[in-house]
Amino acid sequence: MDTRSTVDVAGFSRFAANRHPLWWGVLWLIMIELTVVSAFIVSYFYLMRSAEAWPPAGIEPPPLLWPSVNLALLLASMVTMWWASWGLNRDNRAVLIAGLSLSLLFHCTVLALRWREMQLFGFKWSDHAYGSIVWTITGFHFTHIASAIVGTAVVLVLAIRGYFNPERQLAVVVDTLYWYFVSAAWVPFYLTLYWAPRLL
Amino acid sequence: MTATPSPFGPSGRRRTAQAAARLAAAGALLAGCASDGSQSALNPKSPDAALIAQLWWWFLGVSAVVLAVVVLVLAVGLLRGRGAQGARPLPESRRWALVVSGGIVAPAVAILGIVVSGLWIGRETGARPTPPDVTVEVAGKLWWWEVRYRDAQGGLIATTANEIHLPVGRMVRLLLLSDNVIHSFWVPNLDGKTDMIPGQVNELWFAPGEAGTYRGQCAELCGVQHALMGFLVVATEPAEFEAWLAHQARPAAEPEGALARRGREVFQQSCARCHTVRGTAARGGQGPDLTHLAGRRTLAAATIPNTRGHLGGWIADPQSIKPGNLMPGFALDPPDLHALLAYLEQLE
Amino acid sequence: MTLTDRTFDPGAPAVRDDPEETRRLEETWRSPSGPVGWFMPVNQRIIGRRFIVTAFVFFLLAGALGLLIRLQLAVPENSLLGPELYNQIVTTHGTTMMFLFAIPVVEGFAIFMAPMMIGSRDMAFPRLNAFGYYVYLIGGVAFFGSLFVGLAPAAGWFNYVPLANKEFSPGLGVGIWTTMITFIEVSALTAAVELIVTILKLRAPGMSLNRMPLFVWSVLVMAFMILFAMPTIIVASLLLILDRLVDTKFFIVEAGGEPLLWQHLFWFFGHPEVYIILVPALGVISSVITTFTGRPIFGYTALVVSLVATGFISFGLWVHHMFATGLPQLGLSFFMAASAMIAIPNGVQVFCWLASLWGAKIRLATPMLWVLGFFVIFVIGGLTGVMVASIPFDLQVHGTFFLVAHFHYVLIGGAVFPLIGGLYYWYPKMTGRLMSERLGKWSFWLAFLGFNLTFFPMHQLGMEGMPRRIYTYIDGLGWEGMNLLATAGSVVLALGFLLTAFNFWVSMRRGRPAGDDPWGAPTLEWRTSSPPAPYNHRHVAVVHGRYPLWQEREAGRREVVIGLRSDRREMVVTSILDAEPQSVQVLPGPTIWPFVSAVAASTGFIGILVSPIFFVIGFFLAFFSFVGWLWPRRPWRED
Repeated sequence: MDTRSTVDVAGFSRFAANRHPLWWGVLWLIMIELTVVSAFIVSYFYLMRSAEAWPPAGIEPPPLLWPSVNLALLLASMVTMWWASWGLNRDNRAVLIAGLSLSLLFHCTVLALRWREMQLFGFKWSDHAYGSIVWTITGFHFTHIASAIVGTAVVLVLAIRGYFNPERQLAVVVDTLYWYFVSAAWVPFYLTLYWAPRLL
Repeated sequence: MTATPSPFGPSGRRRTAQAAARLAAAGALLAGCASDGSQSALNPKSPDAALIAQLWWWFLGVSAVVLAVVVLVLAVGLLRGRGAQGARPLPESRRWALVVSGGIVAPAVAILGIVVSGLWIGRETGARPTPPDVTVEVAGKLWWWEVRYRDAQGGLIATTANEIHLPVGRMVRLLLLSDNVIHSFWVPNLDGKTDMIPGQVNELWFAPGEAGTYRGQCAELCGVQHALMGFLVVATEPAEFEAWLAHQARPAAEPEGALARRGREVFQQSCARCHTVRGTAARGGQGPDLTHLAGRRTLAAATIPNTRGHLGGWIADPQSIKPGNLMPGFALDPPDLHALLAYLEQLE
Repeated sequence: MTLTDRTFDPGAPAVRDDPEETRRLEETWRSPSGPVGWFMPVNQRIIGRRFIVTAFVFFLLAGALGLLIRLQLAVPENSLLGPELYNQIVTTHGTTMMFLFAIPVVEGFAIFMAPMMIGSRDMAFPRLNAFGYYVYLIGGVAFFGSLFVGLAPAAGWFNYVPLANKEFSPGLGVGIWTTMITFIEVSALTAAVELIVTILKLRAPGMSLNRMPLFVWSVLVMAFMILFAMPTIIVASLLLILDRLVDTKFFIVEAGGEPLLWQHLFWFFGHPEVYIILVPALGVISSVITTFTGRPIFGYTALVVSLVATGFISFGLWVHHMFATGLPQLGLSFFMAASAMIAIPNGVQVFCWLASLWGAKIRLATPMLWVLGFFVIFVIGGLTGVMVASIPFDLQVHGTFFLVAHFHYVLIGGAVFPLIGGLYYWYPKMTGRLMSERLGKWSFWLAFLGFNLTFFPMHQLGMEGMPRRIYTYIDGLGWEGMNLLATAGSVVLALGFLLTAFNFWVSMRRGRPAGDDPWGAPTLEWRTSSPPAPYNHRHVAVVHGRYPLWQEREAGRREVVIGLRSDRREMVVTSILDAEPQSVQVLPGPTIWPFVSAVAASTGFIGILVSPIFFVIGFFLAFFSFVGWLWPRRPWRED
């Protein structure tokens, strides 16, 4: 058969971070996680709706102060993460490293604050369904922050060793995307765990 | 009461021998209902069940037509291409007509029919004219049914098990409960099923339409003995029902004769921890209330007939009849067993 | 001028195959061999074939369990299997068929065929693909193995609480179910992400979405359904694991838990699950009908819209599994209407195929035969499906053998028959040979006859009051004849399927060599050799229509992409809608890391059955293996 060439890709980019299949892959991974987040929230409200008192009699809704601080820290970490990739786009390694480090610092603070908050919960996960769902959602988000931290720590190590440049930044782009998700996922959890029992 | 169908055929090894004959008969069975009909949705004995059965015959008829049309279109279409003249496809417009009529219009009409009939029959069968004539609480246990008759104020009239007597032509309200796993209450001759879910009370309302004995069975996997968790519904004329209920409300009669009195002592030692016989010291709540055991038709949740032989076998080795059930076997001395049976047989 | 609105370009330069370059390409895409090498390949066809073969092995195993069930129920009061063992077998049969056979086999077909059909050399994340397979294999073996040591779950494949709670199911069984199913779902999710990105981004230039083969469309719809359905079963399983391991109270009524929460979460996944299995099979049917009628399928757009609509509607039906739970009537009515609604997209598809078959010159080869069998069986299953949408009727047949009949008609007739047709159809791409037509036809007729003998009587059994999942029934209820008939039928059915398994086995060596395109098919997978070279396509095609091979044959010429390097694994990345070439993706080669990661993750999953501390251990083991997997290799390549 007569074979002709009509498309020549020899000169095409081999990086194309924003169009790279990996970027799309992480996007769909986040869709999966979003579905998980929704399933948790739906479960929370389902249990709440079928309970006589929510939280159960004798238990106060968890205090608002530290979770609100966490919210601010997590939102701030999204900005510093954005700043890091902005630096990378301009081949400014110092900004990249500073942005990543700051973001890590924020997340580690959140982790510590969450840990302390868990110590002060007035109930255990095995006390009642309310305790179970609060602890599970908290643990779910805690684990995600922890994994975002270790993943970004690896990216930071690579950044310090000079692996990245404006051409080669896929890992940063993908890690940033996941970071945004983990930080932003706190917003619905925060509203559900801390405001729903007060307002509804 | 007209013919009481017996769900209990011959037990024994002849079954295997009958198998071949049954296989031969099975082709004929496909055509119609050949069971004795005591546990069948095709043999409706209440207005609710009759409506649903009617719905089924409509479904069956329409489905047969649809299937025939699809197979016919397929067959004719295939045959048309088999000639020597090559492919003879339908013109484009005819193809669209086929797809739109068969794939959109016909299903849409069917959906409309299903939704309208479903809503209408749902409203009829779900109707709850207050107040009901009879209120019965049925609780799913592992693996039997506790039956409690309530008066209009909610007071307890009588407790029994695995056999629900109901008056013909009266509206019955069943309160369905469970304190363990999920069961599903189902008497196909009388109505569709309703789940018994821990933490909630479901209701089932219907009016038995004809005197008779109907068998029901748990319809939701509930553990090891889900299969043998049956019960009977005995529909009788209202007067007969009232008499029966009044009898059930009474405590057990004093045993007559030395043997039966000896049997009561055996009962107190071996059975009273789990079973209640009202009017005696036996107040166990684990197993069925046995106050009027001798009046029931079956044992072990409608698994075996209530005869002296089966009762003795059940007491001695319940695990061989219903493996995994919660009743332990009792290796009683023959005289003790004899006395116990004499006592139980008097619990009319 | 874009590729989608252009026909063949007369002035394009000619391309010649350089043997040296072909050799280098072969070298680059080759998978390692040897015992260690077995754990290293990442090529999509190898992974896909493993999925298919493993899934069919589970199919035969679970089928054997089905036979045991039928033998037990052949006569009343049978004592072949005790109640506990029977419940374990029923649970394992259902779980294995759903999670270890049906989903993996459709994924396997998708992974094996879809990349070749879109003209790609591999998938977007080859290592993730391999990881998914090992996860499936480990999880599947661990789950099925539990039956042999008497630890299998016995609470049904749906695991309703409170029966599945620790109090009523104290053994390890339900724990194994929850952890292993969660684990296997991870594999389904990786495959879904992989398939979506591959189909959206790696299609051959010119293969715009409206030129995509219908099978690929069905895979895309399936993958999206997995994406949104599986997470809820993972959450449900997680809650149950926590209840059982660390005493949370999600499903404990006394402490404010809700048994119905489990049912909602389970069926929000469980209903789409049925369509996840069905939809790719519908794609197979479109492929087979197109090829064996030898002309374009009728109503391409209508078929695509129907597939997508089926996907959407299937998420709105889950409550029809809960009609008997006492939910408010008004809400139920909505689900009644939605459930019946799904008849429309399915009706449109069936009639599009009928219109395509009408008057066509059909070659009645084995694949086509299985598809014709589908029509009869699936229509019956669809009709009973519409019936059970009606609430009053469903309250009678729910939880009975009528339902058993219904979903076997849908799943075996609707999915397994077409998939076996697909197996016969695509077998040349797995082995280079054709399966025996003679055995294939025998197999079909036995399976068709046996299937109907087995499952048709069950409709009547259900109407006559026989509930599902009972290990025995008392004599005298009138169920004896039908049950015996069903058991006899199941033996015939098993023979039919075994013949195909036998055919698969012997044809690997004895089958007639197929050549590149034995059926005269129109899609790109038949442009590869049989079996294809490790790189699938020697040249990536440029596509000008829905039926590229027919077009090329008519024109006597074809167009291809040049400029992909042969010394490393490269693929063309194209735009989502129009498949305009955008960039080039460089793929990794064979590696052991996916296997290591799967072992690390399974340590965590299996370990938590023993102690929750394994969650932490698994987390860190998996983390380190992922770093090893993704760490850039030195020297950091000059790419």
